[in-house]
Amino acid sequence: MAKPSATRESAASSAPSPATPSLVASFFHHPLRLYLSAALLRVAFLLYGLWQDANSPVKYTDIDYLVFTDAARFVSRGQSPYERETYRYTPILAWLLLPTALKTGHPLLDTALFSSGKVLFAAADLVAGWLLERVLAKSKSMDAATARKYAAIWLLNPMVATISTRGSSEGLLGVLVMALLSAVMARRITLAGLLLGFGVHFKIYPFIYAPAIVWWMDQERMGSPSGGDKPRPSKEKPSWVTQLAAFITPKRLQLAAISLATFLSLNILMFFIYGPPFLQHTYLHHVTRLDHRHNFSPYNTQLYLASAAVTPAAADAAAAAAAPAPTTLHPLLRSLRVESVAFLPQLALSCALIPLALAKKDLPAAMLAQTFAFVTFNKVCTSQVSRFLFPFFPFPPSFFFSRTRVQGEMMAIMM
Amino acid sequence: MRERITYVQKLGDSLAPSAVTVDGGTIRGPEVHAAREDRLTIALDELPPELRALLRSTQGLHIRWVGTVAYEAVSPLLARLPPGFHVLFPPIPSIVDDIASGSLCATLVKIFGDISCSGPAESFTSLPEGRLQYYQQLDSLSHFIQYAKDQLCRGSGSSCAARLDSLSKAASLDISYDASQQVLRITALWPYQRQLVHATSDARLRTEVGILSTDQPQTLEPHEVGISGLLTVLGQDSKPSPTMFAFASRHRDAESSFSAQFLSPTGLHPTLQLRLDSRKPPALSPSPDVEDADDADSRCAPYAYLTLPRTIFADKYQLSDPLFLASKNLTALRYTTQPVDLEAPEYVTPQWGSAVLVQLSPPSGLQPRGKQKQKQKQEQHLEQWTAEIPLHLRYLAPAPGGYSTIRVPYPAVFWACEADEGVEFPPSPFEKAHLGYDALFSPRTVFWHVEPRPAEGRLLVSSLTVPVLDVDKAGWVSAGTAAAVLAGFVWVAWKLLGVYLRDGYGAGRKVEGEKKRQ
Repeated sequence: MAKPSATRESAASSAPSPATPSLVASFFHHPLRLYLSAALLRVAFLLYGLWQDANSPVKYTDIDYLVFTDAARFVSRGQSPYERETYRYTPILAWLLLPTALKTGHPLLDTALFSSGKVLFAAADLVAGWLLERVLAKSKSMDAATARKYAAIWLLNPMVATISTRGSSEGLLGVLVMALLSAVMARRITLAGLLLGFGVHFKIYPFIYAPAIVWWMDQERMGSPSGGDKPRPSKEKPSWVTQLAAFITPKRLQLAAISLATFLSLNILMFFIYGPPFLQHTYLHHVTRLDHRHNFSPYNTQLYLASAAVTPAAADAAAAAAAPAPTTLHPLLRSLRVESVAFLPQLALSCALIPLALAKKDLPAAMLAQTFAFVTFNKVCTSQVSRFLFPFFPFPPSFFFSRTRVQGEMMAIMM
Repeated sequence: MRERITYVQKLGDSLAPSAVTVDGGTIRGPEVHAAREDRLTIALDELPPELRALLRSTQGLHIRWVGTVAYEAVSPLLARLPPGFHVLFPPIPSIVDDIASGSLCATLVKIFGDISCSGPAESFTSLPEGRLQYYQQLDSLSHFIQYAKDQLCRGSGSSCAARLDSLSKAASLDISYDASQQVLRITALWPYQRQLVHATSDARLRTEVGILSTDQPQTLEPHEVGISGLLTVLGQDSKPSPTMFAFASRHRDAESSFSAQFLSPTGLHPTLQLRLDSRKPPALSPSPDVEDADDADSRCAPYAYLTLPRTIFADKYQLSDPLFLASKNLTALRYTTQPVDLEAPEYVTPQWGSAVLVQLSPPSGLQPRGKQKQKQKQEQHLEQWTAEIPLHLRYLAPAPGGYSTIRVPYPAVFWACEADEGVEFPPSPFEKAHLGYDALFSPRTVFWHVEPRPAEGRLLVSSLTVPVLDVDKAGWVSAGTAAAVLAGFVWVAWKLLGVYLRDGYGAGRKVEGEKKRQ
């Protein structure tokens, strides 16, 4: 295993001589400039959105935001947010948006209150950007200014800014994921456990990060309480029992316990307050959903065909269509419903193979690859689902910062 | 059993008593231009047993069938509905729920043929005050005619069968069960056309024949319809006796027309465009002065009532933004069936569809100035205005050829006007109630109907071609999806394997480097 020959020096960190700073360098030198610009960008979009909503039949605000605010209004009246059709999120989101349901009578104040949810999402964007900067600095050992340059891919991205100011809740997701990554890299296990539990309650899919984080948290990195590496007592390869025992470290147990406890207690609380509709809309819906509208997944047409085949009339038509299928296919394969085993490649890749191969090498990159695999092999891929990838956007370009063969492979996988 | 046959002519036409001859049980007259209404009233115990059991367990049942061929209506027989088969079902007390709900759909299928309802709980939708509603397209009454012949014409000879056969040309058929009087009323309406006055009474029935026309005596109030003509009871009277009466009617003629069609290209979100002839409220309505804008809005407004089959629906959240509505010349969505699933495909939706009531907003702008008729005629083409109702298609089941056609009936368009204070609407001989949309307005609303004119052909139905999965070409979908996913999976796994074989799953050089620095 040869050492990588072309590891670039952290050249970007060697700032040009202070006497003649380039405009770009000086922009990134002070954090305030970047974050202020990002904030101003979002404020500008927010105000433009208010103007467009008031003056055009085509609205700037996302329909989802209307769903959230309607649900928040139900909650403010003491009812369940699930009274609102198509509200398929945790009640916590409706709680967070309760200020939008306030009515003071003063029109300007009312508009401001109604937009408070968008402000929350935009603020979450900024926090996510800050956490992104910290993670980049730590994982790639780059200095703050360089980290800010890469973080700008998220912070100054007009698409990201538009998503939040339109009222989509993905900003909250970005902050959660970045906070989780940041907590893990800072070795703050309790915080990481809380965030992971809350994240899974919020949107289910962050559970895929658990295997990567757990695999990454080995003895060497976390530092066992009894000191550094112990020399192995014998030259024999340890038995798989010993390896398993070595795998279950206290830190990993702590992470598992806290995240599980958080997840369960949140679910129990919500179930206690809202009953079965909570389970139905937040979780079970995603198991039985039949989206073949606005679905970019490869399973799109198969889902359509399979769901329609349940009705007798369509079943006849489907049976007639099955006849021209090639006879070389094994009968078992012919009757196999592809979509019912869709979770197999999806979870195998995102929860097992990718973490196993990549997590120890580069955790953020591994999480990006996981998210990508999860989204691509998912049965449903709406435009919102693909937004799960956005917080990770700065990472592929950062591979160029410290180019290693591993990360070259990562790039190949991304493509 | 009682029978009432009415020939209704237009204002100005009338028949002299001498032109009509009554001979025993037969009445004969010349050819007239009239609409004909036949009403048969049957007591509950004269009905076949399965029908009797069903009706006894309900608080009323109202079936309305309207043909798809456009027809001209004559006052006072003006009430209109979208073409198709409508059922209205007042609330059922919970005790007898099982009897009614179990056998209702089965009985409807038996009588009318192809009714695809599975039960009131699944297929029906609810209207205000717990009433249940059902609708589907039904182009012909042939199955009903056969059933009626089997039940009513046993041993009566060919005249009974011939009369029932004439139902195939009827414009509408109403079957109403009145629980308070325990009678079933079957009313058939034939369109305004030239026909011979001729009727024969049956020994079993008491037949009353009226040859009427609208009349406008001086004493007629604005909310009333005047009728005059000749009445005869066959078998009893030897000559027709003249009659004249007036009654307050909730259904009037707006004397304008509309047509409906989908804007093309339709896409998955077709827009139904209604083209109306007139912007003003009807002339005799409570608000004749259009300049008095506030009054007009509060008293009279145009509405469209749509019964949409389950393949197409309206999104109430989309139709709640005032700016958007104004751009389509709509005022508001006044009623929609609840709930309407916004995501489900057509083949998993059990309900028949949804009913939608939309208030239209005629654009202000050009008003006919003054009372000059000529000027008004010239500006008539400028009177035309359109309203657009955005709708959404559900995904339909795959079909051979890749296309499915769906048919959407014309809406019922009318001006709904609040009657003046103190006006009452007691039951009248030509009253049509339980239409569905009348439940959505106050009991003192008068409906001024706008006549539907087909945009193409003679049918009051708009067709849409919807692309669906082509079943003939779908053989490879299952295998192809599996192959694509497998290929992707294998490729990624292979790349990961490459990484593992080269560097293991460990942290690699970086951590070793850190260790070395320690």
